[in-house]
Amino acid sequence: MNNQVIECQHIVKKYGSKFALNDFTVSIPAGKVTGILGPNGAGKSTFFRMVMGLVRPEQGHMQVLGSRPGWQTNKDIAYLPDRARWYADHTVEKAMQWAENLLPGFNRERAEKLADFMDLDRSMKVAGMSLGQEARLMLLICIARDVPMILLDEPFSGIDIVSRERIIGTLIDNISETEQTILLSTHEIDEAESLFDHVVFMENGQVRLTGEAETLRAEHGSMETLYRKLYR
Amino acid sequence: MNEAQVGRMRFRIDLSQPLYEQVLDQIRSSIAKGEIDLGEKIPSVRELAQALKINPNTVMRAYQELERDGLTETRRGQGTFITTKAEQVQTIRQNLAEKAIEEFLNKMNSLGYHLPDIQALIEEKGGSRR
Repeated sequence: MNNQVIECQHIVKKYGSKFALNDFTVSIPAGKVTGILGPNGAGKSTFFRMVMGLVRPEQGHMQVLGSRPGWQTNKDIAYLPDRARWYADHTVEKAMQWAENLLPGFNRERAEKLADFMDLDRSMKVAGMSLGQEARLMLLICIARDVPMILLDEPFSGIDIVSRERIIGTLIDNISETEQTILLSTHEIDEAESLFDHVVFMENGQVRLTGEAETLRAEHGSMETLYRKLYR
Repeated sequence: MNEAQVGRMRFRIDLSQPLYEQVLDQIRSSIAKGEIDLGEKIPSVRELAQALKINPNTVMRAYQELERDGLTETRRGQGTFITTKAEQVQTIRQNLAEKAIEEFLNKMNSLGYHLPDIQALIEEKGGSRR
């Protein structure tokens, strides 16, 4: 297999007269953790939605796992959208059953382990969950899948520090156990940056800068410092 | 700056420098200083990645380099161990000492000191250290 899991060439997507992606060209390496960074409105979520085939490019080409994005490629991708909601009457247990029935590659055994690690009580109802608990459940459903690629759109937003640390710990275990490709967008760069193998800085629907995190660190310092430099 | 004690090793991770080099340097110097013994088991990639909150691939890269240098050995199914060969550790100690001297000499040169003056200064200052 090609060692790029996503290839985008000159992609254009507009919402009304506003460009969400504007001549967006990027390659995402396989088996790595890539940070998708940039201010609000940079096009990060549109990019993720396009990878999932939820949004189509108006111009340009996109290949995901060697094909055009769509339902065939989606079975190989676990996606955590930026504005996800659960059925309020679901419990943790019920959500796991739902995922097992519906989501390709859902690994129940791993989900059970993750639920313990993330300290999620099986009988707890979604309606009664804190934001942090709900975020942990959504992440669990996402990363318990044996799929080649995981997209996490802002997994830390609005989440308390303890939940955030658990999520990061979970991701670290996941990276050591699997060969999955992870794409992660976040504003909490300082906490997530030590996870990145690779980073893409976006601005106004384009790639501002991209490269290996370690190389960029040697040249510019931390990703957070670089972020400040780029978007000041 | 992220600090962690992992077994008998102390780590300080600075996000403004390449992480892999820091992990490598800090383990190397722990070995040279004798903070970890010959033949001692070191944390698994996953344990160290968890403790330092960094990507396991980064730890893996550092471990591979340690193994290439002959400082560690991986035993199948058992984990990674510090070498039992004292001469390997001695070599690393020597390298680190040479590097420290070189850095020191460069700094002294930049201050305008040359070898005879430096030697005299060391005699004078170092006397109280012995």
